[in-house]
Amino acid sequence: MAITTKSNLDQLVSSAQNGDRNAFSELVRIHSLGVRNVVYRVCGNRQMAEDAAQEAFIRAWTKLSSYSPKVSFKSWLYRIAVNAALDMLRKEKRILPNALEDLKLRDINPTPEAMLASTERADLIAKALSSLSDASRTVLILREYEELSYNEIAETLEIPMGTVMSRLSYARKLLKEKLAVALFASAEDKNG
Amino acid sequence: MAKHILDSLGAYLDGELRGRELKKVETHLSKCELCAEEYASLKSLSEILEEAPLPDFSSPDRFAADVVLRLPRKEMTSIRSKVLEVGWWLAPVGLIAIWVFLGITNLLNDTLLIANEFGFLNSTATSLISSANPDAIWSARLGNFGFLAGNNLQWARTVEAFTRTTASHILWQLSIAVLYLIWIAVSWVRHEHRGFGKSIEG
Repeated sequence: MAITTKSNLDQLVSSAQNGDRNAFSELVRIHSLGVRNVVYRVCGNRQMAEDAAQEAFIRAWTKLSSYSPKVSFKSWLYRIAVNAALDMLRKEKRILPNALEDLKLRDINPTPEAMLASTERADLIAKALSSLSDASRTVLILREYEELSYNEIAETLEIPMGTVMSRLSYARKLLKEKLAVALFASAEDKNG
Repeated sequence: MAKHILDSLGAYLDGELRGRELKKVETHLSKCELCAEEYASLKSLSEILEEAPLPDFSSPDRFAADVVLRLPRKEMTSIRSKVLEVGWWLAPVGLIAIWVFLGITNLLNDTLLIANEFGFLNSTATSLISSANPDAIWSARLGNFGFLAGNNLQWARTVEAFTRTTASHILWQLSIAVLYLIWIAVSWVRHEHRGFGKSIEG
């Protein structure tokens, strides 16, 4: 398996900018999981995520000439991916159920078994995430799931570092509130 | 007890603090129960978020193959856009070249006319200048038809010659300046619209 160094990546980007489809294919292969993870977390739907990720890479291909190495290719690509995912959500008119309402309904009469079931928990988390605003959710996803630094998030979303910090803080506070009843208490108990 | 550091806990959790700020948060957390609890809850939130699994996506190779199949052809448009781009950036150079060329041509023309006035040119050059110099056509015609004569004709010839040369100078310089300003404006608009990915803002 080939080792992908930064200079290799730069070379691939440069070749792709000159119209080399094989180089771009390699870039797609390298970033496919990261991009699909991000768009899945934003969309909350597997099929939508696959479509949005493909759309993101096609947009990246057509806009490659405007890419400048002043920002990292990953940040540039993730910016396109996040926008493709949000566009997809708008196009599909947010077919996901209202997460907050869903949480409340489930909390009326929870059974311990149901609450502890991992799929149930995962479902609740995904829905709580999707109930956040686009701006808050995106920052949180890039930090928590992609583990981007604040600087990388700022670069990706083209916002100041201070805004990254405030959005992240707000998103965490809101998510904690949304998850508090259903999940947070049990998780804290588990952690002791 | 020192002031609570709740605002710094997120950055601490994310490994974004360095040096004195990091030390300050660590020291405070070892003493303050409230901040320690808040930090534990943030950590728990991160752990809970990790519980949301990812679906089974297709393999990167297969995904890349699917994407490449959908890529639009780019080679031709790429070359065309490069030519257009180079042409765009050469446009102001062309405008300046036209400005210099016309300026030199007019300067030479004026110099030759003055030289001719003072009789420094031979007969061949004089005939060339007078055939290429349509400065006073209308006043000459008015003179031929008897509408102007004497001092009036001379005055009309001078005014027509001045208007033709000066007005044309002003007109072409103004045209080049307007074209240049349009180029700057379009360049600025293109630059403003080049960035994308700001749709999640606001």
